[in-house]
Amino acid sequence: MDTLKVRDAKDVEEVVRAAIANEQPLEIIGHGSKRGIGHAMATNAVLDVSALNAITAYEPNELIVTLQAGAPLADVLSLIDAKNQQFAFEPMNTAPLLGTPVSGTIGGMIAAGLAGPRRIKAGGARDHLLGAHAVSGFGDSFKTGGKVVKNVTGYDLCKLLAGSWGTLSVMTEVTLKVMPKPEAERTLLLRGLDDAAANKAMTAALGSPFDVSGAAHLPTSAFRTRIEGLGDIAGQGEALTVLRLEGITASAAHRAGSLRELLAPFGTATLVEDVASAALWATIRDVLPFAADGALGAWPVWRIVCPPASGAALGTVLARETGGDVIYDWGGGLIWAALPPKPDAHGPAVRERTNAAGGHAMLIRAAEDIRRTIDVFHPQAPGLAALSERVRASFDPKTILNRGRLTRGAAA
Amino acid sequence: MAIMMPASDQAVLARRAEIVAALRAIVPGEGVIDSAAEMRAYESDGLTAYRQPPMVVVLPDTTEQVSLVLKYCAGQGIKVVPRGSGTSLSGGALPLEDGVLLGLGKFKRIREIDFDNRAVVTEPGVTNLAISQAVAHAGFYYAPDPSSQIACSIGGNVAENSGGVHCLKYGMTTNNVLGCEIVLMSGEILRIGGKSAENSGYDLMGVITGSEGLLGVITEITVRILQKPETARALMVGFAQVEAAGECVARIIGAGIIPGGMEMMDKPAIHAAEAFVHAGYPLDVEALLIIELDGPKIEVDELITRVETIANACGSTTCQISTSEAERNLFWAGRKAAFPAVGRISPDYLCMDGTIPRGALPKALARIRELSEKYQLGCANVFHAGDGNLHPLILYDANKPGEIERAEAFGADILRACVEFGGVLTGEHGVGIEKRDLMPEMFSEIDLNQQQRLKCAFDAQGLLNPGKVFPTLHRCAELGRMHVHAGKLAFPDIPRF
Ligand SMILES: Cc1cc2nc3c(=O)[nH]c(=O)nc-3n(C[C@H](O)[C@H](O)[C@H](O)COP(=O)(O)OP(=O)(O)OC[C@H]3O[C@@H](n4cnc5c(N)ncnc54)[C@H](O)[C@@H]3O)c2cc1C
Ligand SMILES: Cc1cc2nc3c(=O)[nH]c(=O)nc-3n(C[C@H](O)[C@H](O)[C@H](O)COP(=O)(O)OP(=O)(O)OC[C@H]3O[C@@H](n4cnc5c(N)ncnc54)[C@H](O)[C@@H]3O)c2cc1C
Repeated sequence: MDTLKVRDAKDVEEVVRAAIANEQPLEIIGHGSKRGIGHAMATNAVLDVSALNAITAYEPNELIVTLQAGAPLADVLSLIDAKNQQFAFEPMNTAPLLGTPVSGTIGGMIAAGLAGPRRIKAGGARDHLLGAHAVSGFGDSFKTGGKVVKNVTGYDLCKLLAGSWGTLSVMTEVTLKVMPKPEAERTLLLRGLDDAAANKAMTAALGSPFDVSGAAHLPTSAFRTRIEGLGDIAGQGEALTVLRLEGITASAAHRAGSLRELLAPFGTATLVEDVASAALWATIRDVLPFAADGALGAWPVWRIVCPPASGAALGTVLARETGGDVIYDWGGGLIWAALPPKPDAHGPAVRERTNAAGGHAMLIRAAEDIRRTIDVFHPQAPGLAALSERVRASFDPKTILNRGRLTRGAAA
Repeated sequence: MAIMMPASDQAVLARRAEIVAALRAIVPGEGVIDSAAEMRAYESDGLTAYRQPPMVVVLPDTTEQVSLVLKYCAGQGIKVVPRGSGTSLSGGALPLEDGVLLGLGKFKRIREIDFDNRAVVTEPGVTNLAISQAVAHAGFYYAPDPSSQIACSIGGNVAENSGGVHCLKYGMTTNNVLGCEIVLMSGEILRIGGKSAENSGYDLMGVITGSEGLLGVITEITVRILQKPETARALMVGFAQVEAAGECVARIIGAGIIPGGMEMMDKPAIHAAEAFVHAGYPLDVEALLIIELDGPKIEVDELITRVETIANACGSTTCQISTSEAERNLFWAGRKAAFPAVGRISPDYLCMDGTIPRGALPKALARIRELSEKYQLGCANVFHAGDGNLHPLILYDANKPGEIERAEAFGADILRACVEFGGVLTGEHGVGIEKRDLMPEMFSEIDLNQQQRLKCAFDAQGLLNPGKVFPTLHRCAELGRMHVHAGKLAFPDIPRF
C-alpha cells in the first residue's frame, strides 16, 4: 500500500484530489497509534500527516497554541508544560490500553477526541479547539474558527472535526486553547464503597460548591492487575472512590477539608497530594487496570458514556451479567468495561443496557474479527444517522477519507 | 436599508390569505397573528435600525405544531424566520416580507430539574435568568450570563452561542449545553444528546449552537448547571494609560489566574456610566478594569492580593477592593448599565462586537480613536478584556442625515481592524445581517462554501432564515458539485514509503 507523506497543505490537497479522480479512498494517519480503533477500512493508500509537524505559534499570555496537525503530542506537551500550561481536557494516552507504542500527533488527539477525568469540569477536545485549517473531501483547503477564545463568526465546524476520526477533513493546522496548570492537587480517597454508594458519594461531591475536577471509582476488581506507580494508594485492594480538587494550594487544601466533611456519611476520607495524586489520575485517565499487558489485556473494552447518576446501576448490571470488570470516571458518567472474551464482545447486551440508561457505548478495544461483526461506534436513531450521513457527505461526498472507519460494512 | 435581503417571492405573497388559513388550521386561536398592528411588535429585534413586518407571525406551543408548520412551509416553498425574545443585536431575527415569523415565546416551561445529573431540561422560550432562578434554592445556577439575561431566551442563547461577563472562566453557551430537540425545515423532529457529558457520533449539538436559526428550530434544550461559587469579590483598578491596563490583563493571565470576570472600560464609557449610576468610578483615568475573583473565600482573598500586586506593578493609579456584596455590586453596576448609560448621552448608538488577541488591545483602541476622528462620531468602549471581546459603542443621531451610514461604515472599519489584528468579526452577538457582508473579510469563498454545504445537510431548500450570515446564497446542487481535477490521475510527486 502506498503511504504518502505530505509536506504541506498543498500536498494534502493534491493527494486528496488525485484520490477523488482515481476513486481511491485514503486512510488518514498521524502516528497511527489508534489504527486499532474503529472498523477495517476500504482504503488503498495512506495519507500520512506526521511530517506536518511544526509548532506555528505559542502565545502563553493569549492562552493559545497554533500547531501543524502532525506535531508530536509529546513535544507539544513539553512545550506548554515549560510555561506551566496544559490542555485542560486532559486527553488520554491510549497506548497502554491499546498496547501500541507511545506516540501520537495533535491531529490524532483531536480527531479521536478522547478527554480524560477533567472533562466534567473543563470540557472535551471539542471545547478547546478554537480554529482549524483542513482539506475537505472536495480537495479544497478551508479554515474555520479563529485564533481567539471568544468567537461566533460562522458555523463552528471545529466542533464537528473534534471526534470525527478523520472522516470529514484532513486537518493541517489547528489552534487550541491552553490553560494554566493548577498550583496544587489534592485527592480524597474513600475505601470500600460498593458501586451504588460510590455513585452517590460522587454525585454529592459534584453537586457541592467545592469545584471537584475528578470523580472516579475503582471497584475491587480493578486491582486484579498490579499497577505500577500507585504505591500505597492501592491499599489492600479494597474498592477506591477518588475525588480531585485543584487550584492554588490554600484553596485545594481548604476545599479538600470541606469535602471530607460533606462525605463523612460515606466514610473517613484520606488524602493524597500532588505527585501521588497525579499518578492516580493518570492511572484512571489511561485505564491502566485494563492495560493491554495486564491480566485483562485480552478482554474487549467498552467505553460507555451515560448520565452520571445512572452510572453505577448500568455498570453493576453489565459486570454481573457478563462477568466483566468496570471502572467509573466522570462521576459515573464514563464507564470503562472490560468484558470476558466472546465473539460478539457482549455487544447486544451492552447496547441494550446502555440504550435503556440513555447512554452510548463504543467498543474501543477488540480484535479485528469482532469489529467485523459488531458496530464499534454506537448506532444512532435512524433520523439522526441520516442527518449525520448528510453532514459527512457535505464534507466528503465521495467518501474518500477513512471510508468505513465509523460504519461497519461501509467499506464494502 | 443598506443590507439587501433575498428578493420576496411574489407568488407566495399573492397567496397570503390561503397561507394564513392553513397555518390557523395547525396553530389554532391567537397563535397566528396577521394584522399589521399586532405584527408591529415583531418587525425588528435588538438591531432596531432595521425593520420589516413579516408576512405572518405564528406562535406555536407544541413541538408537533412547530413540525407541522415547518413541513407545510417546506412543502409550499415558504421562508421561515425563528424568533426567541428578539434581543439579537445582529438582526438574526429580522423578519422577511414573504416569510413566516415563528416565535417560540409560548415554549415557557422548564420541563425537568435533575440535580443529581446537574442538568435542566427546558423549553426554548424560557429566559436565561429564569433557569438560574429555578435552581437557585439548591445553590445551583446556569453559568452563561449575557447582560440581556432577564429578557433573552435560552433558545436564542443556543442559536447565538451567547456569552457573558463570566465566560472567560465558565465558557460560552456551547460549553454549557448537553442536548436538544430540534425540528428540521422538513418537519422532522430529532433528539440530540441528553444528560450525558458528550454525545455519540459527530458533535451536531456543537454545530447547532451558534447556527443563528439557520439549521433548525430548537424546541427543547438540556443545559448543564453548576454550584454557585462560595463567594466573589471584585477589584476596581484605574490606569492613566490604556496600554498599562492591557499589560495588567496580560500579566494576570500570564500568572495563571483566570478571574471569574475581567472587564475594561475606556474614558468615555467610564464617564457615561458614572453619570448614570454613580458607582464611584474614578473620572481621571483612561481605563478602568473590574476584575472579579470567585471561589472559596480563602482562594478569593489570596488571589485578590496577587492581582492587586500585579496591578500596582503595572502602574495602576487607583485600586479599590470590594469588602461587601453591596460594594461588589456597585462596582458592576456601572459596567452592567454601560449600554443604557451611553444611550443617555447619545440619541442612538451602534453596539459592535469584535474579538482581538488580548495583546492587540492598545493597537485596537488607537485605531478606534483614529476612526472616530475620521468619521467625526464619538465612541465609548467596553471590553470583555479577559477574552479580547471588544464592544465599541458608536454614538450617532439617526435624525441627522447621513449619520447612520457613517456609523455603519465606522463599525465595519472597526471589525475589519479586528480581523487585521488577528481577531474575528463577532465574539458573541452573531453575524446576522449586521456583519453578513463582512464575512469575506475573514473567510474565503471556499471557507464559506463549506459552511453553506453544512447548511444544505440540514435545509436543502434554504428556506430557514435565509439572508442571514452568508453574503451570497448558492443552491445546494451547485455547492455539492465536485470538480474533478483532470490530468492528475496519479498521486503527485510526494514522498512515499
Ligand atoms: C508522552 C506522551 C504522552 C501522551 N499523552 C497523550 C495525551 O495526553 N492525550 C492523547 O490523546 N494522546 C496522548 N499520547 C498519544 C496518544 O496515545 C495518541 O497516540 C495520539 O493522540 C493519537 O495520535 P496519532 O497521530 O497516533 O493518531 P492516529 O492513530 O494516527 O489517528 C487517530 C485518528 O485521527 C485521525 N487523524 C489523524 N491525524 C489527522 C488529521 N491531521 N486530520 C484529520 N484526522 C486525523 C485518523 O484518521 C484516526 O481516525 C501521548 C503520547 C506521548 C508520546
Ligand atoms: C441590552 C442587551 C445586552 C446584551 N448583552 C449580551 C451579552 O452580554 N452577551 C451576548 O452574547 N449577547 C448579548 N445580547 C444579545 C442577545 O441578547 C443574545 O444574542 C440572545 O441570545 C438572543 O436571544 P433572543 O431570545 O432574544 O433571540 P432572538 O433575538 O429572538 O433571536 C436570535 C437568533 O436566534 C434565532 N433563534 C431564536 N430562538 C430560536 C430557536 N428556538 N430555534 C432556532 N433559532 C432560534 C433567531 O432566528 C435569530 O437568528 C444583548 C442584547 C441586548 C439587547
